Amino acid sequence: MFKKILIANRGEIAVRILRACRELGIQTVSVYSEVDRTSLHVRLADEAYLIGPAASRESYLRIDKLMDVAKKSGCDALHPGYGFLAENAALPRACADAGITFIGPSAEAMEAMGSKTAGKQLARRANVPTVPGTSEPIENPEEAQALAQNMGYPVLLKAIAGGGGKGMRVVPNDAAFASAWRDAASEALNAFGDQRVFLEKYLVGPRHIEIQILADAHGRCVSLGERECSVQRRHQKVVEEAPSPVVTPELRRKMGDAAVRLGRAGGYTNAGTVEFLVDADLNYYFLEVNTRLQVEHPVTEQVTGLDLVKLQIAIAADHRLPFAWETITPRGHAMEVRLYAEDPDNNFFPSPGKIISCHVPTGPGIRLDDGVYEGWTVPMDYDPLLSKLIAWGNSREETITRLRRALDEYTITGIRTNVSLFRRILSEPEFLRAEIHTKWLDELLARPHPPAVPPRPGTEEAALIAAALWHNAQSNAACSGSADSQAAPSRWKMEGRRQQLDHMP
Amino acid sequence: MKFEIQLTGPSGKRKHMVELERKGNVSTVSLDGKPVDADAVQVAPNAISVMLGGQSFEIHVSSSVDGTLKLQCGAHEFSADIIDPRAWRGRKHSAVEVEGRQEILAPMPGKVVRVLAAVGDAVEAGQGLLVVEAMKMQNEIRSPKSGKVERLLVKEGQNVNAGEVLAWVE
Repeated sequence: MFKKILIANRGEIAVRILRACRELGIQTVSVYSEVDRTSLHVRLADEAYLIGPAASRESYLRIDKLMDVAKKSGCDALHPGYGFLAENAALPRACADAGITFIGPSAEAMEAMGSKTAGKQLARRANVPTVPGTSEPIENPEEAQALAQNMGYPVLLKAIAGGGGKGMRVVPNDAAFASAWRDAASEALNAFGDQRVFLEKYLVGPRHIEIQILADAHGRCVSLGERECSVQRRHQKVVEEAPSPVVTPELRRKMGDAAVRLGRAGGYTNAGTVEFLVDADLNYYFLEVNTRLQVEHPVTEQVTGLDLVKLQIAIAADHRLPFAWETITPRGHAMEVRLYAEDPDNNFFPSPGKIISCHVPTGPGIRLDDGVYEGWTVPMDYDPLLSKLIAWGNSREETITRLRRALDEYTITGIRTNVSLFRRILSEPEFLRAEIHTKWLDELLARPHPPAVPPRPGTEEAALIAAALWHNAQSNAACSGSADSQAAPSRWKMEGRRQQLDHMP
Repeated sequence: MKFEIQLTGPSGKRKHMVELERKGNVSTVSLDGKPVDADAVQVAPNAISVMLGGQSFEIHVSSSVDGTLKLQCGAHEFSADIIDPRAWRGRKHSAVEVEGRQEILAPMPGKVVRVLAAVGDAVEAGQGLLVVEAMKMQNEIRSPKSGKVERLLVKEGQNVNAGEVLAWVE
């Protein structure tokens, strides 16, 4: 087993990895940018090193600086987390050159499966169903348009190097093709420095269901079942759950087998996720592979009882997966919501700043994976993910009521958060009936807000009293503060105040 | 102590009088002139527990840059402007356009990406003065009054903290 692991990330995922290392008795080394000096992943680490200014390009994305820290501190392994360099094959290569174990797949497997087109070609070879479309980038817009006419609209244009919904355009009909092509290509060029685009059939109202796989270096590859992540805002996952309410044991087995076939075909090792789109008739189509730990991995952990980060570390240390895991079935239900520092009432505008107070939920069936604390200032330079709130229970219904209860206990002041968005989602009849698809949330948000549930009688009065009391305490503190600097209160000032009071009605 | 509070919440905006009196260990509260059976205790630096005739409420309080209090009670949110008898001048007495020299404050930490007005420019109320970028989103900072840009305290490319003065409009 490893002695010391470098965590090449920040925020909640760095804290998550750190906790797994601590449980395994492995020393942890964090890295941080200038604005992250007081971040939780730095405070909790055994060692931490400054690697540059706030901009990720000059800190968290600098492979050379990470390697320097790893060598200087004597790390024998590196965990990339998700985001930043997690899916960049240059990182496992640099690790190999430096004699450090990369906790993740090999650079070759990352390249063979990570890019959308390469993954799709591999899926076809492994006999995994794919959405009809081109697997090669198309250079010529006229040729692409002819293909689209053949396939039938709507079609989807996607950047080769894409991710997070950037460089992606839905084309509803032939007339819209030319401008959608231009937009997708220029967005892809700006976001990824690669303007190549490919084309596929656009499924109407599909669900996003993904399979978590684990593969060791000794030829065993297992499926840990599915997660459903159909609730998305502009292609970003917002609520994730396991198991999926629509997946039957038979479909779970079929999708799991397909994912394992794909993992084997790509020579995959460590934890990975095979994403599928599932249509109304429960046909599944391969979407892409994420060659890393996913943000939503805790829901799988809650229904399987496994610790995926510890397993990633064990696999990287050349341990074998137990045979029995080839028949894992989920127990109970788990659901995760992603709390962001953004204002859902103001077009999801980011809300960085100081967290004045933070009361976190606890109690039965609640897990909070976070990277923030009271008094910390959320920097404006990174992804605004604050925490992931996960609930689990015997059934989907119990899990949802637990999550609602926990959200009511969760109070963060000083910054805006998207808690109210989850209150709305978790009370929508369609969500409760699991009638969801990847466009469901965008459609919901386009509908008028339902009338707000009125506060219970007395809330307004309680708020008024609290405001008065708080204000009174604040001004008393301010007065006593100024009195300290003087020997005695000035009589002139006292008289002035008295006169002011007399003017009040 | 008497406070005039303008409370904005789900049911609209209204002014109220709140009176807090403490005699020894006993405190009494009256709302709009009527005594109420209430007990309020600060339970955490920013949290106040209020008992109102046996009903329990927990209110989380934070103050924004302009002095308005934000009150969170579960899923519900209120904002309160307090007209303090001890303050020299009550703020926000009316909705008419603000008077006098106005300091334009940064509502959030971020980076000034564009300056839209120059010192000496005449500006209308609501006209954009600068653009501040935070977390890859751009936010236009507007003038609260019609007047003249007296000073600009920041330059393009400069990082600013929440509450930092960006400009003066006279």
